[in-house]
Parts: sequence; C-alpha cells; structure tokens
Amino acid sequence: MGEVIVITSGKGGVGKTTTTANVGTGLAKLDRKVVLIDTDIGLRNLDVVMGLENRIVYNLVDVVEGNCRIKQALIKDKRYPNLYLLPSAQTRDKTAVNPEQMKKLCDELRGEFDYILMDCPAGIEQGFQNAIAGADRALVVTTPEVSAVRDADRIIGLLEAQEMKQTHLIVNRLRSDMVKRGDMMSSEDVVEILAIELIGIVPDDENIVISTNQGEPLAGNDTMAGRAYMNICHRLIGEDTPYLDLNLKKGFFEKIFGKR
Amino acid sequence: MENPVIIKGNNHGITVILDPSVEYAKLRDFVAEKFRDSSKFLGAAPVVLGFEGRALLPEQEKELLSIITESCELRIVCLIDSDAERQQQYERTLNEKLLDLSAASGTFYKGNLRSGQALTFETSVVILGDIHPGASVTSTGNIVVLGSLKGQAFAGAGGNEKAFVFAIDMSPVMIRIADYLARAADSDRPPEKENSRFFGRQGKEEPKGMQIAFLENGQICLETLNKRIWNDIRL
Repeated sequence: MGEVIVITSGKGGVGKTTTTANVGTGLAKLDRKVVLIDTDIGLRNLDVVMGLENRIVYNLVDVVEGNCRIKQALIKDKRYPNLYLLPSAQTRDKTAVNPEQMKKLCDELRGEFDYILMDCPAGIEQGFQNAIAGADRALVVTTPEVSAVRDADRIIGLLEAQEMKQTHLIVNRLRSDMVKRGDMMSSEDVVEILAIELIGIVPDDENIVISTNQGEPLAGNDTMAGRAYMNICHRLIGEDTPYLDLNLKKGFFEKIFGKR
Repeated sequence: MENPVIIKGNNHGITVILDPSVEYAKLRDFVAEKFRDSSKFLGAAPVVLGFEGRALLPEQEKELLSIITESCELRIVCLIDSDAERQQQYERTLNEKLLDLSAASGTFYKGNLRSGQALTFETSVVILGDIHPGASVTSTGNIVVLGSLKGQAFAGAGGNEKAFVFAIDMSPVMIRIADYLARAADSDRPPEKENSRFFGRQGKEEPKGMQIAFLENGQICLETLNKRIWNDIRL
C-alpha cells in the first residue's frame, strides 16, 4: 500500500512546489513508483517545474468530476518511467474539489503507487483541507524567517488537530554564511521553536532557480540542493542519512583555491 | 379586567399573575377563590411559586402565601423572587463566589499551543507545554505554564484581580489580568528569536527564567519568583 505525503507550509513562496518536484524525482531515482498531485487548483505550477506543461490533457478536476479515468490524466515524466504527475486545473478554483473526493482519489492511487505526494497550496482554507484530507504524513516546509516559521507553527497546529500521524520539518533556503554571522536563524533554532522532528535542511542554492526555469528537478545531481533533497528521500524511505555539512560549499573552495 | 388573578404553571412551578389595577384587599380574596376553585386540579405536588404583575410588600407576599397554602393542597417549596434589584445582587454574589472557586480549582492541559490556537478555561489551569507566539490561553483563575510562554495569557478573565500568571520561561507577547493589560516592550527581535541560539555567538541572551505576573496598584508586575511573592499570593 502506498503512502500519501502532503507537502505544506502555510506561507507562500517557501518552496513547497520545488520540494514536491525534487522529493518526487528523488524517490523515483530510488526506484519507487511515485505520483505527484498538484492540489493548487487555479494556480498550477508543479507541471512547469517538472517541465511537463505541454503534455496536460486532463487534470485533477476532470478526474474528480468523472470526465476521464485517472490513467488518462496521469502524465508520465520525461526522465523516469516510474514518476507520474496529476496536474491541477487552471480554469477552476479550490471549491471545485472537496476533501471527501480527495480522500477517495488517494485511496484509489494507493494500490498503484509507492508514494503519492500532494503539493499543497498556500493558506489554510479549502485548498489546504483538500490537500491534507487523504494524507498519512506531512512534510512542513519553512524558510528560516520569522514569518514563515510563524505560519508553519499554525499549520502544524492544524495538522495536529486533524490527527496527522507523522509530521516532519524541512528547513529550506538556509544560508550558512548568514547563520554564522548571526543574521539568520539556524535550523536548530527553527526546530526548537516548532518542536517537531527535522527531516531535511536544504541550502539556499541558485541552481534551484536554474532548475525550476528549465523544468528539470535537481534532486540527486551534484549540487548542494540536489544532494540535500536526495538525503530527504533517503530519510523518507527509512534510511538513516547524516546531514550535509553546509559549510563545505563549492564556493568555499573556490574562494580559497580560486584566488591562487 | 375579567381575570384579576391568573395561574400559570409548568412541571415544577406555578406563576401567579396579579392585576396591578385591582386593590390589594380585593385581590387577596380573588387569590383565595382562584386557588380554592382549582385545588383539585392543582393537586398536592411540591412546587415553586412566583408572583408577577405587581409589586408586593413582604407582608403582603407572606399573607398571599399563607392564603394559597390554606386554599389548596399544594406544597410550596420556595418562592421565586421577581425583584430585579435583589436578583442582581444575588447574581453578583453568586458570580463572585464562583470566581473564587474557579481560581482555587484547576485543570491540567498537556501539549503545546501553536499559533492560532486559543484555549479558555473556567478554572485555573496548568499547561504542561509551551505557548507559542500567536497562541493564547484564557482562564477565569490563574495560569501556570510549565514551559515557555511566548504567546498571550489572560488570567482572571471574569474580573478576578488576585489572579496571576506563572511561567518557567516568561517571554509573553501580552499578559492580561482582570481588566488590566501589559504587553512586551518593543524590541528589535521578535519573540521567536528570544533566548535562541540565533544570537548565541554574539553573546547569549539569558533566559528570563521563572517569573510571575500579578496585579499591584493597577499595574501588572513581572517578577522573578521569591519568598515574598509566595507569601503575598492569595488564592
């Protein structure tokens, strides 16, 4: 039976979609059968990040409303045959789907896939309720900023109220140089405030912007962010993986040796 | 008026509605007659009695009561007061007593309160956990936080000025006691960053430690716990 994981944050722009795309890609790399569901109806962009925009025929709302079969709406990834995307509708809004329908959809997909990743919209309204309805587990993404951390706290409270079985934290866009200077919260600080278990720290990496623009997730390649996402995937499937030493950036060596 | 005395009843009591335009002496006879007539119907149940419609002197009330008990088999268990002023006074006394009780009895709550969560208690409360920024606890009695208080706490919500707030790590955004309010001083660091290792390398902020907030001369005071304060606390 597959596991349904919702990726959520409360605040917008902290990297839910990027995380979904990369964790999905990473799990596919580890030979798991994965489907990504974009639940951000009306503001879809997981398809863009995955580089699959031009293949959309049917979407989530079509499936829920019975306009097509699930198989018809699933888009197979360009690179990994065991990775699929169920895109969201762009012309509708969050009220086009309700939590019961999402639950049913998740249960149907469970038999077919190892992991079902739900990309949750920002906010705590119906879109959020839809995304978490069928989930067994949640990944809360936050950046080390007070506003994002505050929203993450609210989201964790709501997840606890809904009796989510497992909730883990991903600290995204951490800049170790700023943490060193004392200008940014460290991942330890964030964990202390939110009091939930950490599953990954992703450094701020310009390669993310490049990969997003190209529609090629970077999980598993030789960038800091790519390695960090791969580590999250290893931890998700139950392997104990040490955290990256973010100080050993390529840029660090370049600074030392490049000057010679 | 055709019917100067009306009897209205339910399962537990009857209300006697008296016509204010009729003289008391006449009314007395009407009451006696009415109750004699309906004696069979009313039976011998224990009931609560109330008068409505006109103001009665205490002696008049007493007299009517004895007339009613003589005229029928009813057992009057008690008389309901319709005097508004007295009612208010009773209500006030009752509420005060309840408030005192609420401060003295308590509830335990285990768990962290996260942003957006608000809990209200009709008693004093002991929180086994943290209150995060954006969360709030309200109690008619005292609030004791066995963890860090970084959100809002409102003690003595019913107006109890003896209420206090205690926390192991006291860094609240706002504290309210009865009708008074105190908020955190404007600082350049939000509550999340207080006491964290965030500023660690530039000199660690000492945790404020165990503190208690209470009302003194119309101001909310925040003090580190000591013997004198324990002595001053009245439950």
